[in-house]
This record gives sequence, C-alpha cells and structure tokens, in this order.
Amino acid sequence: MISTLQKTVKPLWAVRGLHKSAMEVLKHPAPEETVTSSFGKFISEIKPHHLSPKVLHRSKRMVLDSIGVGLIGSTTEVFELALQHCQHMYAPDDICSVYGRKDTKLSPTLAAFVNGVATHSMDFDDTWHPATHPSGAVLPAVLALSDMTPFNHKPNGLDFLLAFNVGIEIQGRLMRFSNEAHNIPKRFHPPSVVGTMGSAAACARFLSLDASQCSHALAIAASLSGAPMANAATQSKPLHIANASRLGLEAALLASRGLEASPLILDAVAGVSGFSAFYEDYVPQLLESPSDDGHVFLLEEQDMGFKRFPAHLGMHWVADAAASLHKLLVGVGTGTVSPANIKDIQLRVPKSKYINRPFPESEHEARHSFQFNACSALLDGEVTVQSFTPAAISRPELLALLSRVRLEHPDDNPANFNSMYGEVQVTLVGGDVLKARCDTFYGHWRNPLTNESLTKKFRNNAGVVLPSEKVELLIDVVEELDRIGDCGVLLLQLQ
Amino acid sequence: MDFDDTWHPATHPSGAVLPAVLALAETLPSRPSGLDLLLAFNIGIEVQGRLMRFSTEAYNIPERFHPPSVVGVMGSAAASAKLLGLSPTQCTHALAIAASSAGAPLANAATQTKPLHIGNAACRGLEAAQLAQIGLEGNPAILDCGFGVYYKDYSPSKFVDSSSSGFKWILEDQNVAVKSIPAHLGMHWVVDAALAARRKLEKTAANFDLCQIRHITLRVPPSKYINCPLPDTEHQARHSFQFNACSALLDNKVTVDSFSEAQLKRPALRELLSKVTLETPEDNHPSFDKMYCDIEIETHQGVVTAKCDTFYGHWRKPLSHKDLVDKFSVNASSVLSTEGVEGVIDVIDNIEKVGECSILNAYLTMTSTPHQQLYRKRNI
Repeated sequence: MISTLQKTVKPLWAVRGLHKSAMEVLKHPAPEETVTSSFGKFISEIKPHHLSPKVLHRSKRMVLDSIGVGLIGSTTEVFELALQHCQHMYAPDDICSVYGRKDTKLSPTLAAFVNGVATHSMDFDDTWHPATHPSGAVLPAVLALSDMTPFNHKPNGLDFLLAFNVGIEIQGRLMRFSNEAHNIPKRFHPPSVVGTMGSAAACARFLSLDASQCSHALAIAASLSGAPMANAATQSKPLHIANASRLGLEAALLASRGLEASPLILDAVAGVSGFSAFYEDYVPQLLESPSDDGHVFLLEEQDMGFKRFPAHLGMHWVADAAASLHKLLVGVGTGTVSPANIKDIQLRVPKSKYINRPFPESEHEARHSFQFNACSALLDGEVTVQSFTPAAISRPELLALLSRVRLEHPDDNPANFNSMYGEVQVTLVGGDVLKARCDTFYGHWRNPLTNESLTKKFRNNAGVVLPSEKVELLIDVVEELDRIGDCGVLLLQLQ
Repeated sequence: MDFDDTWHPATHPSGAVLPAVLALAETLPSRPSGLDLLLAFNIGIEVQGRLMRFSTEAYNIPERFHPPSVVGVMGSAAASAKLLGLSPTQCTHALAIAASSAGAPLANAATQTKPLHIGNAACRGLEAAQLAQIGLEGNPAILDCGFGVYYKDYSPSKFVDSSSSGFKWILEDQNVAVKSIPAHLGMHWVVDAALAARRKLEKTAANFDLCQIRHITLRVPPSKYINCPLPDTEHQARHSFQFNACSALLDNKVTVDSFSEAQLKRPALRELLSKVTLETPEDNHPSFDKMYCDIEIETHQGVVTAKCDTFYGHWRKPLSHKDLVDKFSVNASSVLSTEGVEGVIDVIDNIEKVGECSILNAYLTMTSTPHQQLYRKRNI
C-alpha cells in the first residue's frame, strides 16, 4: 500500500521548453480520437495557468464552504459511525487528516471516505446545475492525496486548486451528456454517478498521470459508480459522496499502477453500455484539450449554489418564501406566529417524490421535506442548523402546522434547479390570504452569497469544532490558496 | 481468468460470496462451523437468484450492467449478515447499504478491470453488513423500489418464509454451470462445436491440414461484448467467439495456456481468424439457457458442420464429480502443496461435519515452495 507518493516526472516539454506539438508527435502517433481518450488527454494536459481569475475565485469559495460543512459534519452521528468503521478496518498507513478530529489519522482512501461522509452528512454542501454536489466528491480525495505526498514535496496551492477544478469540470462535462441529468434526479443519485468520475479525474491530475492512465482512471471509476435514489433521505446518503471520493481516489491509484479498463467507457457503443448505463438518454461529446488560448471551465459560466441551511436544495425556495410570510405575520401581531391563526397552508412546488414528506420522522427525512422546511420557516422566520434537532422536529406547534399543509404541482414548475420556484400561500383563520413566491433563493447561482455571507457560514460551521484562531487562519489560507507554496499549510488547520 | 461458475439467470454467483464469508470466518470470535459457513454461502447464492428473478431483462446475456456487480454485492451482504448473526432489521439495512455499491457498466467486461467487479461485490457486501452491524441505516424498502434502477423492467415479490413448506432453494432446481475453459461462458458452446467439427474433418480427409480451410462461419447469439474478431489482449480473447473457435481448431483443445500473449499472436491463429464470419440467426437467443452454436467449415473438399446445444459443464450436463475435482486439483496445484490441495478437497467434501471452518483457511495457506511453483506457474 502506498504510504508516500513519488510525484511522477513532470512532462518533458515543461522542463525543457520544447515545442509542445513536436513532443506530442514524438510521443504518440495520432490515436483515433474517442470521447474517452479526449477526456484522458484533457486531464493530463490541463495546466494551472489555464485557471482564469473567475474560476480561481469561485473554486476557492467552494473549497472554503466544503471544508466548513465538513467540519460541522464531523459532529454528526453518521460521521461517528463511519469513523468507527474505518478505524476498525485497520488500514496500515494512517497518515491522513480527518475533519475536526485532532490526533486521528486514517489511510488515504478511508480518510477520503469519512471526510466525504462529514461533508454530506447534513446536506449542507454545494449544489450545481445540472444537479450534483460536486465539491464533496472531490475535495476529500485531493486532501488525502496531499497528505500522502512527502513533507517537502507537497504541491503548491495552485496545483491543488487545479486538481480540484479538474474534478469539478469533469463532473459538469459528463452531466451535459444527458438531458435526464438536467432535472432533479429520479433513478441514480448524481454524486454517486459523476462524483466518482470527478474524484478519479482530480486524483489523476494530482498524480500527473499520462493521458492513457487518466482515461483508465475514469473507466475504472465507472465500475464503482451508481447508487439508487432510494437511499437519499436516509442515513446512508452521505456515504454516496463519501464513496465517490474514496473510490475515485482508488481508481486513480489503480490506474497509476497500470490497471486498465475499457478505452471506450465514455463513448456510446450500441449493445454494450459504458458510462451510458446510468442514463436513459446519453450523447457524449469530445472534450477539447486546452490550447494556448486557454480553456473555459464550466465554472466560469455556471456558478455554484451554496446552501444557507442544511437541507436539500429544493427546500431553500419554500423556506425563503415562507420566511417572508413570517415577517408579515409577525409584523401584524404578537411577535410570534401562532398555529391557531392559520387555517391552511398551500405549497406550490415541483413534483419530486423524495422531497415530498408530509410528516418526516428523522432528521434525514426532515432535510428532504418541502412541508417541514416551509413550516419551520413560517414559525421561526428562518431555517438553521438547529431546526433539525430531535426537539425541534417534534415541536407541537410545528406538527400542528404540518397537518395543515397541502402540496400542489403546477405544470409550470419543473423539477429542475435552474427553473423551479416555490410558492407559499397561507390562509388565516380570519379569511385573509397571504402569498409569497421565491424564484431564486439567496445562495442560488443566480443570486450568489456575498463573500461576507459565505465567510459567516464558514465561521459558524468551523467554529463548532475548531478554535477561532484556526478558523481565521483557514479563511486566510484558502483565500491565498493559489499563491501558497505548500498546500500542507491547509492540511494542518483541519484538525 | 473468467474461470468461475455461471448461473441462470446470468451471473457468477460464488465469486461474489465465498471470499467474503471466508474472510469473515477468519475474524469472527464465535468460530463458525463448516455448516454455518455453508449456510451463509447458500444464503448469498439464494438472494442473488431471487433478485434476478425480479426482472425479465436478467434472463438474457447482459447489455448494460455486469450482473455480478448488481446482484453479487447483495448476495455478499446477505451472506455476511447471516454469518455475523444480524437481526432482521439489520439484515434489511445491510441490503440497502449494499445497493448503493451496486452497478458496474458492462463496458469493463473483456478488460483487465472485470475481475474487480466480483472483488468489489464481495468486499462492499461485507462492508455493508459490517456497517449495518454498527447501526448504519439505509432505505428499508430498498428492494421494493430503489434496486429497480438497475433494470429496465423490475417486479419484486416477497420471500416465502423459510420455515413454511413453501420454501425451496433455487439451487435445488437450477444448477450452476462449471467452466472447463477460462473464458466467457458463451465460448464453451463454440469450442465444443469447433472440436466436433475438427474431429469430422480428420475423419473425412486422410491428411487433413488446417490450411485447407477456406472459410469458417459461426452461428451464435447476438452479443457485442463477446464478438471480437481480432483480440489484442488476453481479456478480449476470453470474450471472443472467433478466438475460441480458432484456438480449438488449431490446437484441438482450449486450456488455461491458450490465452497467453504468445498464443494470441501466433501467425497461424491470426490467419485462421481472418477466415471467420459471425452470423446471428434469429432463433439463437442471447440466453445461457437457450443459446446454441453452429459451426460451418468450408474446405477445398466440401463443407463440414457441427452444432453444440449444451456443452459439458452446463447445468443441463454437469461435470462429473471426478472431473470437477480434477479441475480443482489442476488449478489449486499451481500454488498449493499436495497437502493443501487434498486438505481442501477433504474439508469441503465433509464440510457439514467440520467443527471449525477456519481449518479450510488453514489449508488455503499451504502454498508449495517457490521451487515447486516455478514449474507450475502460469502467466496470469
């Protein structure tokens, strides 16, 4: 088992300054270009200087938020369970950091696993369009690889960020191969499909694998992808992100040792499914290699959504709408909202079975319930981390409101994070009807969190497990990440 | 090496289950008996069979997901849960957790990664059971809805209570196929037919020479991932109707040694391969229960044909006990000492009476000396 990494020899042309195209002709006769090989080529050829300022900025925000949710996630029951499991498995090289746990180390793949669990444990992590949670599948793996690298050979912050961005980019590219991917998922949980691939890509980039090895890393990862939606809204959901991270890392490590898989995994081959197995419609496209003019990362054009409270993204629309109704109701009366005044609550939301739960019984179900989040926001004016404790979930006032909720699925409200809306209509006992609609919640990519809001979220999260000096140091380190000479500085602050 | 057992509906059941129960048996403080091990193993097989019967798609040669990666992990979780003595609820959660590790695309069959499908199935199923044991929960209705994502049609039904008279193990009525050749099951029909045709050629022509062959037509069921006219790797060769037919014709046998790189690259073989065409008649159904292979060889003197409906080793024509044990001995002797080989045969034969199944693990570690292995080592 690898306990330290030898950074593979940098490609010749970078060292000697030879003309790139000449080197390529020498190295490889032009292979027949397949979708799969184009991806392998992209991953191995992309360079730090291809990261534009906008992409640098956005991805650093993602890194900060992801670490923060991971830190607070380390206080959850499911994290504790996963950690116990991994420690029981006694992997020999425990050299990698675990979020929020001083003096606890695990082997690289298990560290990626538990940190992934932490990241998604509260459904607090970032969401993209098409729908997936991109950072949680990638960051834990890249952090683990960084820990594996020998002390004085750690990559600089920019290389770290590049690997991270490759992991995000590949996920975005893959989702664009299917129309099905653009809507709220029904069959496979997207992080388990594209997340594993993103992790493999990021790790392959980090390890400087050649184009062929990068392709094989993706192909090996495909055999480790795919978890059904049925386990979303259960305690097992965080393991989807966790396994994506861990298995993508394993795929890249296996590829670095020479394991080979299908060279056509991303291509559409009639009669033999590759990555297409996970979609009902699948039309892959070549990924262009970065040229001298650069490469436009998807993150440049499609920003990330960050959650303000730990629940499924769909909840944020109804929560924002309900919160504005709370303001109205409170303004009118005693300062609190009383269920006795409310006759009826109507929610107009997109149709999606796994987030339609009239009476959630666990915190996991509550995080996936239009009804619960609307009523919480109506009662309290906001939904926070504390809204999902057992005490909060079983409040009589809340249950009273829940029993008065009806759901409607208007035809013009598609199950799609880019086009959906949330409307809350409250009928008071007196007969008055109050209505509020949210088209774009604060934190959505169309209305991004300000840096101040994002940092505040981070402080609240990280502050639960880290002392404030470390919290502030982390904020600074991530802000400066592209200029840092040794990404080990980042790793030191995580525990 | 694609040498492991195959069932109907199609999967490789044992490889996903046995490694997990063997590993667990070694670690459990409760020291399970041989019968405990055998029971857990059978549960792992039974669950796989039950799950496949929920879908008509499962009855045919796969196109989308590689079956061991779908049902294998579930079988492993079930077997591990049994051996760990989990409660009914924990067993349910073990299955739910395992479902999130299921599903590898077929495209990686015929590559070096294919064996990892079975490896991961065994490993992740075991892990699922361990997680369930420490309290992790998944969707308790996983088989009612979620598991269906791996199939185009999916219609689950309840498991009949094992204590009632209605319960019967699937293995009772549907045996497994054991391979004589380390290649995809479909190859076995082709080899049988090719060997039969070769015998006919030797009889009809006094000095039969393979270069007299003008053309070879293979009539096989349609299945893209085992249709490989010119395999480049051993993995492709194991998944090539054409290669296996030509190997059989050339060497009058197909064995473990037939798939080495040297064998693949033989000019005589490549030449024979260039004379092969595949046909997929409509009545040749892509199902291991219904398919056949027809071979037609055109020489200067005329045409010779042969057909194989059921190869020796198929569940309709199982290997004799002697031949099964012989296959085991040849395989095991490549790494185990004689004592180890015979010990394993003996323990398994009497496993229901074995007090502590860890004795099996002990025999499995009796490797022969490096000196002896040198003469037996095969290029894997």
